[in-house]
Amino acid sequence: MLELYHWSIAGTALGLVLIGLWGVLTRRNIIRIALAFTLADTGVNLLLVWTGHIPDRTSPIHDSTTAALNATEAMVDPLPQALVLTSIVIGVAVAALFVVVAVLASRRTGSADIRRLRELRW
Amino acid sequence: MIRSIFGLILVLVLGAIMVAVVPDIEYSEEIHGVGLHYTSQGMQETGSANLVTAVIVAYRGLDTLGEVVVLFCASTSVVLILSLYPLSLKVSRPSFIVAQTSRLLPAPILLLGLYLIAHSHLSPGGGFPGGAVIASAFLLVMLGGTGVPGSSRNLAAVESLAGLSFGLLGFWGVMKLGQFLNNLVLGTGTPGSLVSAGLIPLISLVIGIKVASELSSVFAAFRYKGGH
Amino acid sequence: MSDALFPVVAITMGIMMLAAGIVALYVRRLLSAIIIVAFVSLSASVLFLLMDATDVAVTEAAVGAVVSTMIFLWGRGKIGGDR
Repeated sequence: MLELYHWSIAGTALGLVLIGLWGVLTRRNIIRIALAFTLADTGVNLLLVWTGHIPDRTSPIHDSTTAALNATEAMVDPLPQALVLTSIVIGVAVAALFVVVAVLASRRTGSADIRRLRELRW
Repeated sequence: MIRSIFGLILVLVLGAIMVAVVPDIEYSEEIHGVGLHYTSQGMQETGSANLVTAVIVAYRGLDTLGEVVVLFCASTSVVLILSLYPLSLKVSRPSFIVAQTSRLLPAPILLLGLYLIAHSHLSPGGGFPGGAVIASAFLLVMLGGTGVPGSSRNLAAVESLAGLSFGLLGFWGVMKLGQFLNNLVLGTGTPGSLVSAGLIPLISLVIGIKVASELSSVFAAFRYKGGH
Repeated sequence: MSDALFPVVAITMGIMMLAAGIVALYVRRLLSAIIIVAFVSLSASVLFLLMDATDVAVTEAAVGAVVSTMIFLWGRGKIGGDR
């Protein structure tokens, strides 16, 4: 049961990444492409935290109960969590820039359809 | 149609690669590498009870400085683009529910944000979520009002001041201990008390102010230059 | 909540998130898609909490769910057309 728990989170993360990629490749509304991007972002963050997760341990914050124990055997790895915290904030900054540029581009073409942006074709 | 087929092929290939690779990530029962040092020595070396904050602010403070710079660049570009190409300058009237809520809720939300920032070294939280919470309180105030403020120059001043203090706190470490952003210029204190963990609370405060003012200026640009 | 419930919560949440992700790509109204993506972000926050990443859970709830939803709502209002 614990194994299933562990792998189900990885499966969720992988599924979100694939759904996000599928959305980016096939959707036509620019805002919806940005949403698919966010989904993939969430999936990657989940996968990164999952790599540092060890079942049956506490979060990496010292308190009265963990001080007595040896910390390395009572806590999960704090390093992936710190990296993901950075990633979440950068992801929102990227999404904000994406949406603003998308809105201005769609103003030029008159619709949110990405196929109307002929400058992006090659 | 052909686009969907290509997309499907790409998704399936990536999915196959991931399913092949991810199970190889060790299902380990213990911490490896540099995380081991952070977990075993983190509280003694930095004085912070929250090891994630210790990693972000103390061990990898330079990375966080870079992250703050990235956020600054993104918010500056958003405000710049919307100033160069303003979409409309009309502000719509808030509905009754929004107007009433924006009078009640901002104070508790602000308090929560300050708590998250002030206790970053003791409990979950830190500068980034705290700043975002404070910015959402400002957003609520903006959504509840109808007037157009003159300029957000004060916001920019606060933001620049916070960024400058981050750098100066870093150089304090250079002056005193010969290392940029050294956490120990203030001493670790007793781990678990509010005034402890060296520079960590100060840097969290600076990050919180900076994130709050950046996101607020983005929201203000959205509302007053982007219309809606 | 006892530890024995963790697997149940994680699996239910995972299935709901994947289903919501697919629905967000294909639902007709853009507003619904944005709210569904916000739901996925909040569920991810719960999964972070189950994985003992409390700081990440707080950040995802504050930054990932609220701020990015506000940005998308603004973009939807500006682009016009709710499809």
